[in-house]
Amino acid sequence: MIEQSKGRDSLKILAALRDYGIYFALVAVIIVFAAVSPEFRTRENALLVLLQVSVTGIVSIGMLFTILTAGIDLSVGSLLAVAGLFSAIFAQQDSPHFNLWLAISVPILTGLLGGLLNGSIIAGAGVNALIVTLGTLTAFRGFAVWYRVNPIYNLAPSYRLIGQSAIGPVPVPVLFLLATAIAASIVLNLTRFGRYVYAVGGNQEAARAAGINVRLVKLCVYLISGFSVGLGALVFTSRLGAAQAISGQGLELQAIAATVVGGASLFGGKGTVSKTLVGALIIGVLFNGLVMLNVSSPVQQMVIGAIIISAVYLDGILKQKG
Amino acid sequence: MLDAPAVIRMTGIRKAFGATQAVNHVDLDIFAGEVHGLVGENGAGKSTLMRILAGFYPDYEGRIELADKEVRIIGVRQARQLGIALVHQELSLVPELSVAENIFLGREPAAGIPGFISRSKAAEQTRSLLREIGLEIEPWKKVSQLSMAFQQLVEIAKGVSIRPRVLILDEPSSSLTKTETRELFKVIHRLKQIGTAIIYISHKLDEILELAQRITVLRDGVKVGSDTRDKWDEQSLVRAMVGREFSSLFPHNHSPQPKNVALSVKNLSRPRTFRNISFELLQGEVLGIYGLVGAGRSELLESLFGLEPAACGEIRVFGERVKIRHPWSAKRLGIALVPEDRRRRGLVLMQSVGRNLSLPVLKYLSSLGFVKSRQENREVAEIISSFKIHAASPAAAAETLSGGNQQKVALGKWLLRPPRILLLDEPTRGIDVLAKAEIHAAIDRLAQEGLAIILVSSELPEILGMSDRILVMREGEIAGEFTREAASAEDLGQAAMAGAGQRLAGEAR
Repeated sequence: MIEQSKGRDSLKILAALRDYGIYFALVAVIIVFAAVSPEFRTRENALLVLLQVSVTGIVSIGMLFTILTAGIDLSVGSLLAVAGLFSAIFAQQDSPHFNLWLAISVPILTGLLGGLLNGSIIAGAGVNALIVTLGTLTAFRGFAVWYRVNPIYNLAPSYRLIGQSAIGPVPVPVLFLLATAIAASIVLNLTRFGRYVYAVGGNQEAARAAGINVRLVKLCVYLISGFSVGLGALVFTSRLGAAQAISGQGLELQAIAATVVGGASLFGGKGTVSKTLVGALIIGVLFNGLVMLNVSSPVQQMVIGAIIISAVYLDGILKQKG
Repeated sequence: MLDAPAVIRMTGIRKAFGATQAVNHVDLDIFAGEVHGLVGENGAGKSTLMRILAGFYPDYEGRIELADKEVRIIGVRQARQLGIALVHQELSLVPELSVAENIFLGREPAAGIPGFISRSKAAEQTRSLLREIGLEIEPWKKVSQLSMAFQQLVEIAKGVSIRPRVLILDEPSSSLTKTETRELFKVIHRLKQIGTAIIYISHKLDEILELAQRITVLRDGVKVGSDTRDKWDEQSLVRAMVGREFSSLFPHNHSPQPKNVALSVKNLSRPRTFRNISFELLQGEVLGIYGLVGAGRSELLESLFGLEPAACGEIRVFGERVKIRHPWSAKRLGIALVPEDRRRRGLVLMQSVGRNLSLPVLKYLSSLGFVKSRQENREVAEIISSFKIHAASPAAAAETLSGGNQQKVALGKWLLRPPRILLLDEPTRGIDVLAKAEIHAAIDRLAQEGLAIILVSSELPEILGMSDRILVMREGEIAGEFTREAASAEDLGQAAMAGAGQRLAGEAR
């Protein structure tokens, strides 16, 4: 009897670890850094981490949509650079082009156009998403450098407010991240479209045979990813107060890492917004904490690379046991 | 010849998959230098029996003797070492490799330097092997450049290259023309002369009767007849394959509504799949479509549902001329398909039973794009209880269900908002008897409610028991139409199978 109930308890623990392990991991990482680093456990630093995570987080949530359909969007970093430059053109203080509304809407439109390009080739022509977005990753970056080699500075204070102000203690970019996460959660959990996204990723053939317009769903997820990149570009550029063609390099890998650490499956059909957010936070906290401990940047990268792999490995083991 | 000891003696062989007894107490003796014909309906257990022999199912029950010595076959490699070669229905060649590379794949002749392959030895051995069975093919030719027939023959050469005592050929002629089949027969005769025992599985009874010295018939996993060639003819073979008591098991309380044509199809064609298909389907009618695997039945349903649109022809749904290019346009017209392969197309296995059930009808369960989850849960629960779907809960993943319950989900998901035309492709394949009966009852009930139903099935009793009218398809064409009253198992079997010979005769003319 006792043996049995013990077995049941350990099963319960295992199941809890499987479902909520990622949250425990975040808490554990925070506790460890807080214990060893007094600089880490300040309110200012907590807000700084959130600020640093906001752009990656927004882009990761867009990425999650494509990954849920067993696709991927590698072009997010390059597209962010293009959208950022376009935004900055209209945000320059002394420029005749200055127009705050265009500076806000143009990056979003650019993101949507990039997503439309990716999506129509992937869904329309049926080319593999990895290949298409690898191509646009290169092409968008090329375009950005060709368009403007030199950084664009002197962005208007009104524009910079978007990325640099705070409401109460909370920086505005963090609010953008929260809003994106809430909207994405609602779409994925409560709408018909959200169901279709999971169904297409779970079994594309079955989704098609259930009368779902699979191509349309795929087109939409790349549009969503593009939109989130546009929003990310706006937040990023206004926070930095400048735009440059080399912005966002490696962003795609951080975004993929966040979704995957958050338990999303690259084969599609599995993943949630909240866990993706936690995935992005874990990576952000690790970077920040290692900086606080004066760990050099190359070593940080090695540590974080190792942690990404172990997180996914552990996740796989727990899923098998459950 | 038959006095010699058997090369292989199988006694009391049994193998079950879950609740299904695929092979049940089968005895079979195979002699050197004979062609042994093995026939039976789809799912009769032929392939399973042969795969046991070839080492695919080490957990079989029964006794196998090889040249009077008992052996326990527990692996593919071991079977091959014992001299048993199985040539599959599906080709297993690597198209981008050469003939020689394919034949010696995994056991390439070594050159002087370890790890390197001797191309000259491989070519030489391939050439002599091919000569032996009377084939002239350049060893370095890429397999993808060969015709289907020669690919099939290379496949056989690959089987022969291990010098088998027993060579099993599973539907080797299914994709061959008449002349190509002749080539195959020549090779078989040669192999016979050098003392190889050959087991030949085929649906083409004329070929079996021409080649075999002895013929064994399986039905539902049981051996129902085994005799020398002269004791059999086409009729007796078909009777042995299908003969059994039926009809009483199948509920039939519906009746077609003569004036209400739900679906009318005229001259529908899809290249290399089916040609000139014309028929009408009434409301309240169950139209059975019988035929062999590959006759084009599933493909026809796929076209009617828009998964693979037809190239030309006319489709009318309740009198209105329509084009069906996508499943979603078919769905809008009130057409639903329960596909043959439920795991691949019928279900999202990783998702819950509830989500699977509501997936095709979410449009009706949502407003402004938001799913009305309370209504969804209620309707899903209703279907689960009325259809007796055994799941731990509606939230249980579909992959945790038994085959029969998965099939009920695959059908049930259309019934939250019943379609007008329901296409069923092998709806009871591989599921237990109880679930089968429940699905049959559901089909009858839906027809009573006025649905127009097409039932594609390879099981004659099911076709005969459930249908009001039966079409037989053969090689992409309609080969016969029978009313419920006039149809018999023999007629259907003959229309589906025997015609293969007639077609060949026609081509020769």
